Amino acid sequence: MKLIFGVGVTLGAYWLSRLVAKRLPCPFTTPVFFSTPLVILALLATGIRLEEYKPAKDVMVFLLGPATVALAVPLHKNWRALVENALPALLGLAAGSLSTLIVAACVAKLFALSSVVVASIAIKSVTTPIAVELAPIVHGDPTLTVGFVVATGMIGTMLGPWLMNLVGIRAPLARGLALGTISMAMGTAQALREGELQGAVAGVAMGLAAVLISLAGPFALSLVL
Amino acid sequence: MASSDPSHPDHALRKLVLISAQLGALIAINKAGYLAATALHLPLPGNLVGMLFLFALLRSGLIPQAWIEETSSILTRHLAFFFIPITVGLMSYSRLLVDSGVAVIGTLLSSAAIGICASGFLAQALVHRREDRRGQEARLMLQKEDR
Repeated sequence: MKLIFGVGVTLGAYWLSRLVAKRLPCPFTTPVFFSTPLVILALLATGIRLEEYKPAKDVMVFLLGPATVALAVPLHKNWRALVENALPALLGLAAGSLSTLIVAACVAKLFALSSVVVASIAIKSVTTPIAVELAPIVHGDPTLTVGFVVATGMIGTMLGPWLMNLVGIRAPLARGLALGTISMAMGTAQALREGELQGAVAGVAMGLAAVLISLAGPFALSLVL
Repeated sequence: MASSDPSHPDHALRKLVLISAQLGALIAINKAGYLAATALHLPLPGNLVGMLFLFALLRSGLIPQAWIEETSSILTRHLAFFFIPITVGLMSYSRLLVDSGVAVIGTLLSSAAIGICASGFLAQALVHRREDRRGQEARLMLQKEDR
């Protein structure tokens, strides 16, 4: 009964967020940011504890694996955009994802946040389905990581274009790459709004940044921690 | 003719079977990714290895894109849904956000800004350099033609 309720509430909140986002597309109506408080409120209102929500969560999260595998399709489709711009794209991608990881880990450490939080926040520029799995590998917490990935997605979408105008990043390829590398799925959606090349490059950057951080992240993080 | 009508039950059934079969394939590839990651002691998440498997299959042409297109597009379009059950767990972290909200937001803002600038500036510089070089080549060609 609680299983059905848990899945139902989550589906309902997601459906509502899509409805609202269609009318009012902005970072605050993105599904995760909008739906999560709704589900939490529903659980609090009905007195269902987080442990009781877990079976429903496990059912839903099961599909995250195959959904991640499916990301290979857009990667395959946009591969040309990468091959044609291999050098700027690969180097820009590496510079962006490694610098954001190191800066995040250092600043979090300066603020004296716990090592679990430091590890979870360092991998925030990895696409969510992979970040969830990477978190335990670097001794972070998957839930915190998802929260940070979503927050970073919103920051990049809201402030990214403004910041790039301010500092003079104008080349379409560079703009798409920066958005995809830092803000993943939400950044890619924003990049698509700027143009097709930007969107394609952002999509590839998102996939490759996940590969790069999975490989290099644990080592880079061990230097900081 | 009747079966090409989207509202025809045959069509709906066929679509359901197609989606299920494609989903089964994606689940199998995902599983293979996890098995490979464990067996080879890869420091990579299994689902990422699965994604790379599928990518290799697509690029090599062993699997045509059309074979998994339908379900893949449904799953990637609704990817955000699967994160909601995970972020609901944030309700047990309210203390962290109250106590260290400023630190967390400061970390996120500074690291995102630096990452965007690093990635954007480097890519832009390399794009411009390439364009300059092409421009020079083009000018040289023109000069040769002039002579």
